[in-house]
Amino acid sequence: MVLLGKVALGIAGTALAGIGLICSEGMIEVNVVEKQPEAHHVYVLAPAMLLPITMHFIPSRNLGRAAAEVKPWIPTIRAALEQLRAGEDVTLVEVREPGQHVLVTKTGGSVVVDVTDEDEIVHVSAPIRAIESTVEQVAAASPETQD
Amino acid sequence: MRKGIRAIGVSCLLALTMGNLAVTAMAAPAPAERYLHVKVDDASKGESVNVNVPLAMAQAILPTINKGTLHNGHVTIGDTDFNGVDVRALLDAIRTAPDNEFVTVKEKDQDVRVAKSNGNLIVHVLDKSKDGEKVDVTIPMKVVDALFSTVKDNQLDVAAAIRALSDAGDAVLVTVQDATEHVRIWIDSHSSSE
Repeated sequence: MVLLGKVALGIAGTALAGIGLICSEGMIEVNVVEKQPEAHHVYVLAPAMLLPITMHFIPSRNLGRAAAEVKPWIPTIRAALEQLRAGEDVTLVEVREPGQHVLVTKTGGSVVVDVTDEDEIVHVSAPIRAIESTVEQVAAASPETQD
Repeated sequence: MRKGIRAIGVSCLLALTMGNLAVTAMAAPAPAERYLHVKVDDASKGESVNVNVPLAMAQAILPTINKGTLHNGHVTIGDTDFNGVDVRALLDAIRTAPDNEFVTVKEKDQDVRVAKSNGNLIVHVLDKSKDGEKVDVTIPMKVVDALFSTVKDNQLDVAAAIRALSDAGDAVLVTVQDATEHVRIWIDSHSSSE
C-alpha cells in the first residue's frame, strides 16, 4: 500500500513537473467570437512551448517557401523581438475606423493582437520567446540552411 | 577565535559589497525608454492610426535591414535627389550661423519659411489653396548633423539620426494639417500616444 502510494506520488510529481515545464514559456491564447446570429466561439489556450515543438514535425519541404522568404529578415526580426522582450509594455499600433478597432500591444512577455469589427472579435496573445523560437525554426527549414 | 574574526570580516565585506551595489543602483536609475510616435487622424472618415516605436528598437533594427537603398542604417540617395546642391556645405553654413530666418517665400498660393532657432532647423510650409495644408517640421540640428555624418556624400546616416533623436528631449518633429487630416510625429518617454 505504501509502495503504491509512493509510485502514485512519483507519477503525480512527474506529471506536475512536466506540466510546469510545458507551461514555463507562457501560454498562447486565441479567442474568436463571431457576432452573427449563429455565433461561433473559438477559444484555444495552449502552452507556448508546444509551438516550436510542433514545428519540428512539419516537413521542411512544406516550410520551404516561408523559410526562404523569412530568412533575409531573420536578423531584423531577432533584433526587434529582443528589444521588444527587454522593453516596457507598449501600444505598438492602434487603428480606429468606423466599425473596426485594431490594437497591437506588447504586454508582459507577450505580443497581443486585438481586432474588433462588426462581425467578430479576435484576440491573439503569444509569448515573445515562443515567437522567437518559431521564427528561428522556420528560418532553419530554409533550403540554404539544409545544404 | 580566528574563525570568528574571519567570519566577521567576510560579513563586513559582504555588507559593503551589497551596500555599494544598492548605492550604485539608486544613483543610476535606468534611463526612461524613448518612443517615436506617429498619429494620423482623418476627421472626414473617422479614422485614426497611432504607431509607437521604441527608439531602442528602431536603433537595433535599422542596421539589420539591407534592402533597396537602405543598408546598415544608411540610405543611399541618387545625385539627382539633391539637384546638384551641396547639402553638406549648406548645412554647415546653417550650423555655424546664428539663429536666423534663411528662406522666406511668400507667393499667392504658398508660404515657405526655413529658419534656425534654439538649435532646431525649422521648416514651415503653408499651402493657401483649397485644402489649406500646413506643414511644420522642427528637427534638432544634432539630428540633422547625425543624418549627414557619413563619409559618403550620397548617403544619409539614419541610424545615427535615430541615436541623436534618443538623446534629444521631448519634441514635436512634424505636424501636417489640412482640411480633414492631421498628422503628428513626435518623441517622448510615454509608451502610448495619449
